[in-house]
Formats: sequence, C-alpha cells, structure tokens
Amino acid sequence: MRTKKGFKLRDICGEKIIVAEGLENIDFCNIISMNESSAYLWKQVEGKEFTVEQLAELLTDEYEVDKDTALRDCKALTAQWLKAQIIEKE
Amino acid sequence: MCSSNNKVKEIYFENAKFLPEITALLNEGHTVTLRLRGQSMRPFLEDGRDKALIAKATYIKKGDAVLAEISKGVYVLHRIIRLDGDNVTLRGDGNRNNEYCKREDVKGFVIGFYRKGREKIDKTNEPKWLIYSFVWTRLYPIRRYLLAFYRRIWLKLFPCKLPV
Repeated sequence: MRTKKGFKLRDICGEKIIVAEGLENIDFCNIISMNESSAYLWKQVEGKEFTVEQLAELLTDEYEVDKDTALRDCKALTAQWLKAQIIEKE
Repeated sequence: MCSSNNKVKEIYFENAKFLPEITALLNEGHTVTLRLRGQSMRPFLEDGRDKALIAKATYIKKGDAVLAEISKGVYVLHRIIRLDGDNVTLRGDGNRNNEYCKREDVKGFVIGFYRKGREKIDKTNEPKWLIYSFVWTRLYPIRRYLLAFYRRIWLKLFPCKLPV
C-alpha cells in the first residue's frame, strides 16, 4: 500500500494532524490527528510504498516493542488509515 | 454509526496559539472550517453549534464578518461596522461594544456559516445573511432588549441542539 498523494503531516499546536496539500479546505471540525508513534511511522512512509511488515520493522527499530505486538499494532493502524482514506491499497 | 476504531474526540486549542497557525494556513491559500466559540455573534450564530468557512482576507468591506486580531493574541470573529482608511471598527452581532484594529490585523474573511449541524452552507454573499445583516445592524439601538429577549425567552422555547 502507499500513502495518498498530497497528504502531509503537520504540527498544529502540538497536535499532529494530516492535511491535504494544495488549496483545499482544512476542516478543523473533522481532523485526523495522530499520536507520537503513528506520526513517526507516517513520516517514514509519507509519499512511499510500504507494507505492514515494513511498518512493524520501523516500529521495533524505534520503540521497545516485540515483533508480534508491532505487527498487530501496525495491522490495526493501517486499517484505520485505510478507513480514514489517507492511504490506498497497491 | 461509525463502527471503526477511529476514535472521535474533541480537541480544544488555545486561540492565541491556534489562530496564528490558522492565519499561516490562510496565507498559504487554504480555506479553513472552524467551530465557533462564544456568544458574541448571536442571534445568528451559537457557541459550539455553528461553524465558519474562512478564507484569507484580501478585499474587505463594511458589513463583512471577519477573523481579526484586535490585540496581541486576542482574536475575534466579528462584523466590520466601519472602515476608515487603515482603521477598522468591529462589533460582534451579539455585543454592544466596539473593537478596533488595523487593516493588517484582519486575517480572515468568512465565506459562509454552517448552522445548526446542516451540511449546506449559508454563504455571506447570499440573501439570507445579507437580509439578516441589514435588519440586525439597523436594530442596534434596541439590541440590548432583543438580545435579552433572545436569551431569556427564545432560547428557553427553542433550546440549541449541540452536535453530538
């Protein structure tokens, strides 16, 4: 899967939110915000192709977490990202 | 309705920190949608219920609803009631006092409002807002009584429904 074109992570008052670049409207009544670890992962794969396994590897590199937990968390995370329509399959 | 595990939560930003960032986004050419706070734009707009669609303020005129920094870190979304060269006088529809700033302090221009949880926008260049504006600003001499009526009677009869 890959991150959708034009979606960039921005820091607004310490809140990490996903904003579509360009002249689009930013709806602060309905924003996608990320916690520290998912924001870290997003930054690593922004604009790139990636797999859940790669995400899990990035997570274990940066955080004290075992491989299975990382894989499970990354599966859940990519499901959320898909639902939020900020990444796409293939 | 949404059965996903994407959590929905309210985040409150501090105006003094948040609105400079909003100003930067407006200057980049974005428009922003913000939830409105406060009662200073009553009776058209309600605290926590309504939203505003805001663009960078390029050309402003008397009667416009704008986002302005009236002193360092203090932002209001009020109506322009007078424009005199570089000097701008603002007044909230639900207020009786004026505020003053310079043209450069007017950061955003309100394109329209999303009221009462509706998806459809009430644009500020459409008859509804223009007629309301025409009438409401001319009723200024009796505004305190109208606002008192709105607060004590109208809102009791027709309480605001806040979005869930």
